[in-house]
Amino acid sequence: MEEMYDAIIVGAGAAGLSAALSFYRSDETRQNMDLGIEPKVLVISKLQSLRSHTGSAEGGIAASLGNEQPDCWQWHYYDTVKGGDWLVDQDAAKILAQEATKTVVNLEHDGVAFSRTNDGHIAQRRFGGHTKDYGKAPVERAAYAADRVGHQILHSLWQQCIGHGVEFAEEWYVTDLAVDQDEQQVQGVIAFDTHSGEVHVVRAHNVLIATGGAGRLFHTTSNSWDLTGDGMSLVLRAGLQCEDTEFVQFHPTGLAHTGILLSEASRAEGGTLRNADGVAFMQNYAPEHGDLAARDVVSRAIRAEVDAGRGIADPRDPEGPRDCVWLDMTAIEPGHMLAVLPQVVETIQKYAGLDPTKDWVPVKPTAHYTMGGIPVTTDAEVYTWHDGERHIIEGLYAAGECSCVSVHGANRLGGNSLLDACLFGSRAGESIARRVAENPVLDDGSTIIDEDALIDHLGQDRQDALHDLVAHADDAEQPEAEAAEETTDNAYKLQEQLGQLMDSSLAVLTDAAAIERAQQVITDELVPRAMQLHSHAEYTSFNQEITAIWEVQNLLKLAQAMLTASAARHESRGSLKRLDYPERDDASFLAHSMTDADGNVVWQPVHIIDMKPESREY
Amino acid sequence: MTTPTMEQSDTSTYDAQVTLRVHRFSPRAEKKRERKSNPFARKSSPFGGSHRPRGKSWVQEYTVPVHADDSVLDTLLRIKRDIDPTLAFRYSCGHGMCGSDAVAINGSPTLLCTAIIRDMAHREPAAPVTDNDGFRKTGPATDEAATAVAEAAETAAVSAEEAPRDEATGRLDLGVIELAPLPGFPVQRDLIADIDQMLEQIKKLKPYLMHNGELATTKDGKIDVFEYLQKPEALAKYEILTNCIMCGVCEGACPVYSGGEAFVGPAALINQARFVRDDRDQATEERLEAIDTADGIAACQSVRACSRPCPKGIDVGEEIWQLIAQVKER
Repeated sequence: MEEMYDAIIVGAGAAGLSAALSFYRSDETRQNMDLGIEPKVLVISKLQSLRSHTGSAEGGIAASLGNEQPDCWQWHYYDTVKGGDWLVDQDAAKILAQEATKTVVNLEHDGVAFSRTNDGHIAQRRFGGHTKDYGKAPVERAAYAADRVGHQILHSLWQQCIGHGVEFAEEWYVTDLAVDQDEQQVQGVIAFDTHSGEVHVVRAHNVLIATGGAGRLFHTTSNSWDLTGDGMSLVLRAGLQCEDTEFVQFHPTGLAHTGILLSEASRAEGGTLRNADGVAFMQNYAPEHGDLAARDVVSRAIRAEVDAGRGIADPRDPEGPRDCVWLDMTAIEPGHMLAVLPQVVETIQKYAGLDPTKDWVPVKPTAHYTMGGIPVTTDAEVYTWHDGERHIIEGLYAAGECSCVSVHGANRLGGNSLLDACLFGSRAGESIARRVAENPVLDDGSTIIDEDALIDHLGQDRQDALHDLVAHADDAEQPEAEAAEETTDNAYKLQEQLGQLMDSSLAVLTDAAAIERAQQVITDELVPRAMQLHSHAEYTSFNQEITAIWEVQNLLKLAQAMLTASAARHESRGSLKRLDYPERDDASFLAHSMTDADGNVVWQPVHIIDMKPESREY
Repeated sequence: MTTPTMEQSDTSTYDAQVTLRVHRFSPRAEKKRERKSNPFARKSSPFGGSHRPRGKSWVQEYTVPVHADDSVLDTLLRIKRDIDPTLAFRYSCGHGMCGSDAVAINGSPTLLCTAIIRDMAHREPAAPVTDNDGFRKTGPATDEAATAVAEAAETAAVSAEEAPRDEATGRLDLGVIELAPLPGFPVQRDLIADIDQMLEQIKKLKPYLMHNGELATTKDGKIDVFEYLQKPEALAKYEILTNCIMCGVCEGACPVYSGGEAFVGPAALINQARFVRDDRDQATEERLEAIDTADGIAACQSVRACSRPCPKGIDVGEEIWQLIAQVKER
């Protein structure tokens, strides 16, 4: 019999680590520990410590600290709601803006090496969509640490977790989530230990899902190879819903065909987008904000330039498609560029062989962030929406990019993602601490475990699936035979083809025909192939192919939900641009899509408490 | 919108080819051991190595079409996708930030994703014989292989202009890149090494900011600012040290560090220096004390092999040298 935990945290990025820290720092946990009751908490991550994608966030974390210019949370609140094209739940965005300063100051206390103003305060820079006086002019709101703020935050949070003795299970892959549908209660997770190659049933009273985004649904993405939408898919497969999955942010400045992100800070510091004729075109699309308009606006402007024949080819592939535009950073003083954008400069030099102080750099929109995800309350509790109300799943929580508390609505502002992950991650930790304090797992064996629970069946099923995957392995001793048989399918091929399909059907622009075609290819071709996949080696220990197979199955599950939700929304809003429904339609769609794995879509009204929807002009 | 392409990625656009010579390893399945402790069991050696995993080692070559400016990681990912899905190596972000893909390339520790084919490929005196599928079965490492490695190291990297063309494909043959797991750590499978020892050593030195929590106050006693104040020049004293991604490259390059307990290793010292130099941290004395040990600064021989390969540009050797000076001056 496996152990019982008070809480399992799945994911060790900004959200998961913030939750672990706030759990241990909460009054409830400290009181219990004073009484000698040690909480049993485990952070499970499919990566080693410190490899999480939070570390790649570059530009900043938004908060109205007012260190550079006067600022207030009300302006941040307004910008967030407007930036999200009014699909933002305003109660949640209000918390985001109000608690942002506290969140950033806590991170500084935890050791983040923020860049500083001359008088020693946290330095802040301009970021797209962040304004003063309710949209009047740009404001410096993004607290930054050169262009490595994510790396700083990830490492500082991990360091503090080490100080609190947080226990980690590294390179364990959570394959299933056990939710008892009758009781509406979480039972724990099934996890695959990639080192030993064994399946574990991990029981817990509380589970937090903090697995990050799903950028790998697309071929051109800024996301690391591990962002395969596992958390969202776990929830869908457990019979729950995902919210607003049709909204995927395309960051305008991916480095040409690599998809690697060039931070928005490159434009905040003075970079300009130019088309094939050298024209700085953003002035034509967003006269007031120009190159720092919201990301969806800039991505669509790039696409419009490309579609009008004013795009350029990636210089590394001169005969390839003319689907890029130029990022001109030559106006930035070289010394300043190196001081404030070291990572951007290094990326351009290393992966494009160009010198941004002299050369224009080819860029292209790259899949960056999923605004939608697992529906949660402002206390991070997962719920389902039916009969016109929220039904909370007892003990199940989500935070960070995989979740949707709906502070980002239909489009996220730069600097708000780290904030969301740290702030609502912390709130998740506090919620869990309150629940654990009421009913801690004790060592005396008094915690009753139902031996015929759903979780045991899931564990057995996963064990069987693992056995099947390796039972059909070709002889690993003879890899030549393998190579000769080039038609042998594998998860890596399948994932690449899914990415290309999603790029061509859903990226930046879409319509009903493109969605339908993608759905057909997935149902008729990709899903059957995914079900046939098997490992090419007979062992389960350090067999990366096993995880890759389960990841691509998760991606397909999520892709189907995303396409279903995209098809159901007959309007254009934020990041979703439907060519067949080009206008926003508040009368019918001022609502969150709630999609389940069976393709049912129901609509949950947006929480509007302070600001009536207006048009979204930049 | 374009029609989705479902065919295999077109290899005809590649103008060059390279041979990746990969040192592979497959662990022997471990028997379940009794939990009972044996009083005569060998205690772990301070020099490490007593837990060296047993299994099968072999060298495998993959000859693949490439662009000369592809990264080695891109090329390995294509091998995984198109040739051999069983080849194991860690990777995540793909652009030098996550620190997961440290290996030895041509014998030197570095990251797979920041290593570019054109910089790493070496011509060998005689091109290896490959079959039509780009494969050559090779046995366990032999003297012959070792000689080949030595020869490869002697020959300089060739530019694309000088490279000969492959007769069958017409592609420029850039030569060979040798890949092995990160030195200094036990291998787990193929290019995956067990770096837990490094993390344990870093953790032991309390790698987190320790501050007394006092905030600056105004003259009338109210809290003036909420963040701890730090001048830009104070930040500059340690900022570069915070860039460490804990990849283990400096440890793999260190001739003293061997993954054992004899030396805490350059990464742990750099992480300690990060807090020693941060004027917000108030545990400086305790930190200097903690490394003034036989397995701390006394074990560092100042070889400075750790400096050159740091992917984040930290002059590891110099930083450690200054840390040693600070400990000694106390």
